[in-house]
Amino acid sequence: MRCALCLSLAPLLLLASVQAVAAEAPKPEQVQSDISTREISIQSNFTGIDIVLFGSIDFSRTLSPEEGPYDAIMTIRGPSRPLVVRKKVRIAGVWTNGPSKTFPSVPGFYAVLASRPFRAIAPKDTLRKLGIGFSNLEFGSAGGEGADDGFRASLIRLQQERRLFQESDDAVSFIGRSLFKGSIDLPVNVPIGRYTTQVFLFRDAKLLNQSQSSLQVYKVGLERAVYTLAFRYSLAYGLLAVLMAVTAGLLAYAFFHRRD
Amino acid sequence: MFQVYLPIAEISVNLLVMLGLGAAIGFLSGMFGVGGGFLLTPLLMFSGIPSAIAVATGANQIVASSVSGALVQWRRGNIDFRMGWVLIVGGIAGAVGGVLLVGLLNRLGHADVFISLVYVIFLGIIGSLMLVESLRAVWRTRSGMAATGRKPGEHTWIHKLPLKMRFQRSRLYISAIPPLILGTVVGLLAAVLGVGGGFIVVPAMIYLLRVPTHVVVGTSLFQIIFITAVVTVLYAVLNHSLDILLALLLVIGGVVGGQFGAKAGQKLKGEQLRLLLAMMVLAVSIRLLIGLVVAPDDLYSLAPLAAG
Repeated sequence: MRCALCLSLAPLLLLASVQAVAAEAPKPEQVQSDISTREISIQSNFTGIDIVLFGSIDFSRTLSPEEGPYDAIMTIRGPSRPLVVRKKVRIAGVWTNGPSKTFPSVPGFYAVLASRPFRAIAPKDTLRKLGIGFSNLEFGSAGGEGADDGFRASLIRLQQERRLFQESDDAVSFIGRSLFKGSIDLPVNVPIGRYTTQVFLFRDAKLLNQSQSSLQVYKVGLERAVYTLAFRYSLAYGLLAVLMAVTAGLLAYAFFHRRD
Repeated sequence: MFQVYLPIAEISVNLLVMLGLGAAIGFLSGMFGVGGGFLLTPLLMFSGIPSAIAVATGANQIVASSVSGALVQWRRGNIDFRMGWVLIVGGIAGAVGGVLLVGLLNRLGHADVFISLVYVIFLGIIGSLMLVESLRAVWRTRSGMAATGRKPGEHTWIHKLPLKMRFQRSRLYISAIPPLILGTVVGLLAAVLGVGGGFIVVPAMIYLLRVPTHVVVGTSLFQIIFITAVVTVLYAVLNHSLDILLALLLVIGGVVGGQFGAKAGQKLKGEQLRLLLAMMVLAVSIRLLIGLVVAPDDLYSLAPLAAG
């Protein structure tokens, strides 16, 4: 997969260098991107996966990777779903969930990768417009009582603790004149669905170009069968579980208790 | 190594740990002759399984152990089927109520605390009673007291209720109302706690209904099969909180552990067994209580918004 990608990128690199030399007025940089894995399947042995995002710059003006004038930021965003944040309070000596806030649309996964601290790459306004960084994420209008009270901050912190929100400042590295890559670790608890990746190319705090791709995370095999059964044919699923237990009980009796 | 991803609980657990947990519970239930659900569900909760899933999956595991237990009792003619069916009718009503209650509390975010609280109360009371009783039994171990049985011809308020039925195997002619109510209470507890409820049914049948002791265990096991089966299906349909893969691991461990437990149990005296069990029940209760009263590390928690 990765090798196929290298091969497909090679002509691009060649083309880029030819263009850079031949063109009189330099053409504006274009960025293209791809992902090492387009489809991620979750089976019972799934313990998380590393994926690599590739980007390439057409019409790059870099002469060597060390003095590259470019900055890159990559984001990957999983399917959104509503989440409830609850705060525990003490009632009659027992800690129980008290006030809560519902955020209607929280990405199930969100990561920002950058070639250096991304807040230094572009001004605040640009980052906000592009939705880069936890503080610039939109979760929809929060329902629940009163002011925010740290619910949003706690949501972000808890998602970070579950490794579902990640910010990584030096995860993107440039290889050669126009190729760069960043790697992300998708943890075991990633939600299924369609993920979109965005690659932003900056020079001197200015956005030059951006590129998008997507990948799909789904459950396969037994996991998929169980999940589908449990949610779509839940009666059959429940009966199957009972049948499994009854069979196990009968087998146990047949093997161990027959002579009792 | 040996990590297994649970499709419904959506967490990754260690295969060996879950098999071991099933085996340990099977061992204990074989040794003490109890269902073990009241230990299994809290232990699942301690190991990070959300309580709604622990309860549903625990109930599923008990179906397996009660089937093999009930068959043994059936062969010995120790099941009063009529009594069993009456208990089941009440039990189904209680189970439906319990599953709906847990579903509602889960949506409100109170299921964990509620389940823990009910556990603390029940395990605390039962553990203390058992501890006192077994300590007494250990003291007077040589005096050889007979079990309190039914005195023939004795009448209580229970005999004045209407809807009388004849329970042949139990040699009783009593109203169907007390077993119905008992069944309902047990169904409710089975649904909320993910237990079989033997620890309620057995004493209640002996002391309240005056069912002969040898029929009690078989009838209780027979009724538990159906109640836990109903609870399992209800959780699967209404709350989607049953994890069949986790249940399978626990069942496999439990079947194997149960055989060794039964052998180990034969080597210990009855009152020693009860003392040991009482201490374990109290330990779990105290552990759950600590979880409720100690300030949590993190005041905030995150949950998906359940539909409805």
